Amino acid sequence: MSALLRRIAWHWRYDEKRELWIGWWTLVVFYNLYGLLFFVVARTQPPPKPSLEPSEIVQWFDDRHYGLLFGYAIVFIVGGATAIMNATLAYTMRRMSVSRAFAYSYLVIYALATLPGMLIMGVACTVGAMRPDRDPELMSWLYDFAFLSFEGTMGVFLIGSLVWMVAVLLDRNRVFPKWFGYLNLCNALTEVVVAPAWIFKRGAFAWDGAIAWWINMAVFVTYTAVFLTLLRRMILREDFGSGPLPDLPR
Amino acid sequence: MRRADGEVILLWTLPAVGVIWLSAFLLFPGFVQPMSPTLSAEEVAAFYRDPENLPRIRYSMIVFNWFAVGLIPVLALIVMQIRRMAHRTPIFSYAIIACAAGGPTIFLMADLFWLLAAFRPMRDPQQTLMFNDLAWVTFSSQVGFLIAQSVILALAIYLDRQERPVFRPWVAHSNLVVAALLAPAAFVGLALEGPLAWDGLLSFWVRNLAVGLWIVVMGFVLGRAIYRQRSAEELAA
Repeated sequence: MSALLRRIAWHWRYDEKRELWIGWWTLVVFYNLYGLLFFVVARTQPPPKPSLEPSEIVQWFDDRHYGLLFGYAIVFIVGGATAIMNATLAYTMRRMSVSRAFAYSYLVIYALATLPGMLIMGVACTVGAMRPDRDPELMSWLYDFAFLSFEGTMGVFLIGSLVWMVAVLLDRNRVFPKWFGYLNLCNALTEVVVAPAWIFKRGAFAWDGAIAWWINMAVFVTYTAVFLTLLRRMILREDFGSGPLPDLPR
Repeated sequence: MRRADGEVILLWTLPAVGVIWLSAFLLFPGFVQPMSPTLSAEEVAAFYRDPENLPRIRYSMIVFNWFAVGLIPVLALIVMQIRRMAHRTPIFSYAIIACAAGGPTIFLMADLFWLLAAFRPMRDPQQTLMFNDLAWVTFSSQVGFLIAQSVILALAIYLDRQERPVFRPWVAHSNLVVAALLAPAAFVGLALEGPLAWDGLLSFWVRNLAVGLWIVVMGFVLGRAIYRQRSAEELAA
């Protein structure tokens, strides 16, 4: 433990790349933490059925009363960490040979994405859980508000991924391999196929369905693991110049 | 005479916005004596139906709707100061821009819920209660961007390694203290009574005083940094 602390102190003092490493570690720690909070503590993922009756929805809130209230409270405290995460990802575009407009677009799009991406869901679940005796019809509205804001807000992630894709494909500074550009397209397409979640309450296209949820989650997890790996390599290669990045040092 | 870049004008909007916010805060009848979360649906509906309260609720929330984004120019000035710090990347200034976009949007959501509750006070009391809950929970629990902006600013200050740093270390320390004071409010849903409830010591008084403290401290040190920067530039010219 003390060896680890000494290492961190060394990097804090001497490492020229400490700002980038702060961003990278924030990404790694908080993606894991969000996964833990959504899947294990709040238990809102994998999502429940959209077809539940109001009385079943009341029961759903009741079953995870403290999980929702406690889990989302932690999400609210650390939710702002997305700012430094998105700033780090925007920096990858700033390091490319493309216009800074790409970095700025990505930054603002993903800053707004935090609201429908998790905070609105947290507010709706907190309000639902805090009064178990609320009118079941209104509980059902809160339930829809939570899951449809979370899964049904598509544009921010669609356009955000496309901005990153175009930047990677145009870049001459070798920041990311070109195939990562096309992986961004896969992530963007998940936001297209989730749209029917606004229409269907059962089946593969419903918000808990095989396509709208399971395939999308698989793509998202792969995409995230890939860009975390590529970002780490980029930081190792970073020379703070403005030309092509060197190869990974051996 | 140096060319006017407008930063001083933006800086002096802060006291004006501060006075407007404080007036709207005092005008809203649910803040002066913060509304209790233990009120029944009928009591909450009666609060909105009261002819004494209704215009004050509407007018105060309209004023908040106008000026909720008033802090963004000041955050932009902080971004300008972070850009003067001795960093290798623009990550910290980008991150503050991200906080500036996210934070006020959340406050506007709370404002909308209050205004919706007041728009048709004769609605079914259960619905008024839900809008009131949504407003209070959004307002109280959404401390994430405020915490992030304090922590990021503190990191930026600690890593500003030059002979005359833009802000002194105590500014970073006080930002971390503010972040810690804001955190308990996130747990507002856990209790209808006591310090964590939305009318309680931690979620209401400590949280809102911390926000006020941050605005006063940052306004003061930001103003000093901007004026010092200007006189240094004039001397160099």
